[in-house]
Amino acid sequence: MSARTPQLHYDAVVIGAGTAGLTAAVRLAEGGARVCVLAKGVGSTHLAPGTIDVLGYAPERVEEPGAALPGFIAEHPDHPYALIGADAIGPALQWFAERVEQGPLPGYRYVGGLDRNQLLPTAVGVVRPSALVPETMAGGDERVREAVCVVGMRPLRDFHASLCAANLSHNGSSARAVEAAVEVDRADVNSVGLARRFDDPAWRAAFAAKLAPVVHAEERVALPAVLGLRDPRGAWEDLQQRLGRGVFEIPTLPPSVPGMRMFEILKAALRAAGGRLVLGAEVIGADRAGGRIEAVRAHASGHDVHYHARWFVLATGGFASGAISIASDWTAHENALGLPLRGFPAPGQPRFVADYFAEQPMGRTGVAVDGSLRAEGAENVFVAGASLPGSLPWKEGSGDGIALASGHRVAQAVLDAEATSNLRTPA
Amino acid sequence: MATLSTDVLVIGGGATGAGVAWDSALRGFDVILVDRLDLAEGTSGRFHGLLHSGGRYAVKDPKAAVECIEENRILRSVAADCIEDTGGFFVTTPWDDPAYADRFAEGCKATGVDCEEIDVAQALREEPRLNPDVSRVFRVPDANIDIWKTVWSMARGAQSRGARILPYHAAVAIHRDGDDVTGAHVRDDRTGQELDIEARVTVNAAGAWAGQIADMAGIEGVRVLPGRGIMIAMNHRLVNTVVNRCQMPTDGDIIVPIRTVSVIGTTDEHTDDPDDHTVIESEVDAMLDDGEKLVPGFRHQRALRVWTGVRPLFEDAKADNTETRDVTRAHALLDHAQRDGVKRFVTITGGKVTTFRLMAEETVDAVCKQLGEPRPCTTRTEPLPGSEERRHYRIGDRLEAKEERLTDDQLICECELIRRSTLEETMRRRASTNLDDIRRQVRLGMGPCQGGFCIYRATGILHGLDGLSAEEANGALLGFLQERWKGVWPVLYGDQLRQARLDDWIFQGVLGVEHLR
Repeated sequence: MSARTPQLHYDAVVIGAGTAGLTAAVRLAEGGARVCVLAKGVGSTHLAPGTIDVLGYAPERVEEPGAALPGFIAEHPDHPYALIGADAIGPALQWFAERVEQGPLPGYRYVGGLDRNQLLPTAVGVVRPSALVPETMAGGDERVREAVCVVGMRPLRDFHASLCAANLSHNGSSARAVEAAVEVDRADVNSVGLARRFDDPAWRAAFAAKLAPVVHAEERVALPAVLGLRDPRGAWEDLQQRLGRGVFEIPTLPPSVPGMRMFEILKAALRAAGGRLVLGAEVIGADRAGGRIEAVRAHASGHDVHYHARWFVLATGGFASGAISIASDWTAHENALGLPLRGFPAPGQPRFVADYFAEQPMGRTGVAVDGSLRAEGAENVFVAGASLPGSLPWKEGSGDGIALASGHRVAQAVLDAEATSNLRTPA
Repeated sequence: MATLSTDVLVIGGGATGAGVAWDSALRGFDVILVDRLDLAEGTSGRFHGLLHSGGRYAVKDPKAAVECIEENRILRSVAADCIEDTGGFFVTTPWDDPAYADRFAEGCKATGVDCEEIDVAQALREEPRLNPDVSRVFRVPDANIDIWKTVWSMARGAQSRGARILPYHAAVAIHRDGDDVTGAHVRDDRTGQELDIEARVTVNAAGAWAGQIADMAGIEGVRVLPGRGIMIAMNHRLVNTVVNRCQMPTDGDIIVPIRTVSVIGTTDEHTDDPDDHTVIESEVDAMLDDGEKLVPGFRHQRALRVWTGVRPLFEDAKADNTETRDVTRAHALLDHAQRDGVKRFVTITGGKVTTFRLMAEETVDAVCKQLGEPRPCTTRTEPLPGSEERRHYRIGDRLEAKEERLTDDQLICECELIRRSTLEETMRRRASTNLDDIRRQVRLGMGPCQGGFCIYRATGILHGLDGLSAEEANGALLGFLQERWKGVWPVLYGDQLRQARLDDWIFQGVLGVEHLR
């Protein structure tokens, strides 16, 4: 270790700034730990729809996730939920909902819980069962019998209202599509570009004035999830008033505006609790002492920094984030700390199958952990989120729930251990 | 059941069949072209994209080399818009017999293949990623050819002269009247509708499947050995010049830069089934190792997609082995009146994409002979539609076109720079609900993200444009995803695996497309 390499010291270092990592970090900071989050870049929040899907399919559609979880856990003893514990999931959701309400977006809140999944349309018009969702999306529940007017905007190539409405109709809802005129000066605007425009009250008023005449009195209005980044609740309320109709958002292709709101909320909570977030810092290795990790080495802005801590939380994601990868010799690796994996097919066994929609044999791969989410071979490292083995997040509709509940859970484990060791420390 | 009649019925819509249709139409014949799949979906659409200079055959098969360089020159003129003039190198790597280089230079001279030895330093300036340990470099006029563009240009050119082009129409029976072949019975595999086609002459241009068509006509002994080869498309242009190993042709010795990717090829294994597209992991490994010899670091690039194609190798009566590379690559034209006493039926098979025009010319000459109506061929000079200006495609053309319309035309596929207007025009023209058909027209979803972002967009546009039902639109989306996966999963590693999982996140996590089924 070069004497010139900067050495920083924390109680806990969290690697990864997706839902799992930020949740763990906020909770640790709130619990009094000095916390630093190191992340290569922003994570899952900017890709995911911004809903907290706990258990959507098992494999049939789940109506009541809270009631279904014990049975699901019994059937899947290696699933992250089995390690987290069914009882720990509800409090994690509750914790998150409170952080949203205390957050920087005025009035913005999440609704729902484990009692009943909300059945919200995706951008192709199928139902996605979500436990906890932004209030701005909740009006899309298919059990609301009101007809739906899906509003497309030509410059947003990432949302196709007619396809969405056709599938909603096909599945029994009454839905139709209209195209709203929007004033933008170029052919393409992505969700973020539109969200910035919806933040502008004057632009929004002009949009509503053009849309109002084409919406029927008995319809709900579905818009792509672009209703602002600064004050989405205000924008949503404003549109409902101007249109005189219920309005709801439908998440679509990344970048995810509701996910970015979630990121801002957790980031603000981390700051408020005294935690630090370093983006652009890729963890590329660790200093080990036997079964412990003493420090991680992060590469940022052309130099390396050592971050020392008593505890580390690995929440770097799975294959999609590059946290776990397959090399060209077909071996799999966890890239930040070199931790052992579980669930990856043995050499010579199929990694994938030819049916795209079937379960892929490598799909449940993750970092090997013990029953308390501790990494095998590294006693002061906990693992959270998509880095955990044993789940099929998209097929199960469980990724956000796993991220949130495991992030919440590992923070508690660290806080408990710190409390125990403080008790043991002579005054 | 409908009955159509025509002068020339062409069975097989690869480069050769489309070439026969184009040539026949130019000679004033009425033409119907049928293919069991989309045009150029078989062997023609499953090669590496190389327009040979002839260098590859200069030592081993001088006749093929002569054909290649002559056709190379003709196609550069008549199909200019389908060709990118990359040029090619033959390089002696440390793994190659150094003595071959002189034989290569002599072979090129003898066969008329333009060949110039250049300094290794110069070659490395032009291609900085080339293995710096190469000892000799020869420059030849290799190029790449977009075969889908070529085939469809010919099909549309023929159509504008009255030809009927019928993709997805499989020949289910060949009609015989005594010693005469009188046409075929075909079925539209999309609708189940059947058609009888009466033809004055029927051309069997089914390539690797030509034996099956000949069997239907009751003709024995037309044996086509399918020689299976794999190719892998790597992200980006690792080289901008075609790079060949300077050695006797073998596996994995060519890298062809084409459009936004670089394709390495290929292998050659005998297979009994021309529809066998199995990819074997050891072949992928071998191909990646071979790439490393030409471009160090090759293994660490993103492998986008792997596919296999089958060469139609007509069995030479003298050849008695299963090493298919040793069977002649020359094409075989069978006039069944002479060979079997069956009139009005001609088979063309074997050969290679580079010589498809010549094959078509010889075939239509045989058709004229059968009909007793000699008409001269004009495909040596007549440009394909789109190539009238005789200007080669350049890699920056799409970007230039997009920049001209930055604010009024959407970009639907960022990887391949496909504009909304182009996509809509293509969808209208093809009138197909199969996004894979659209892919072959405009390279939709063929770049690094393999359709992760553009396929939802394209499905939405298709649905809006054609007023498709939800089921049809969903079928287009799901069908594309499944078709794409076939070529993706056997090479999933490194950053491309990450990309694939991001795509899964979009399709399964955000959109929930599996619940459309």
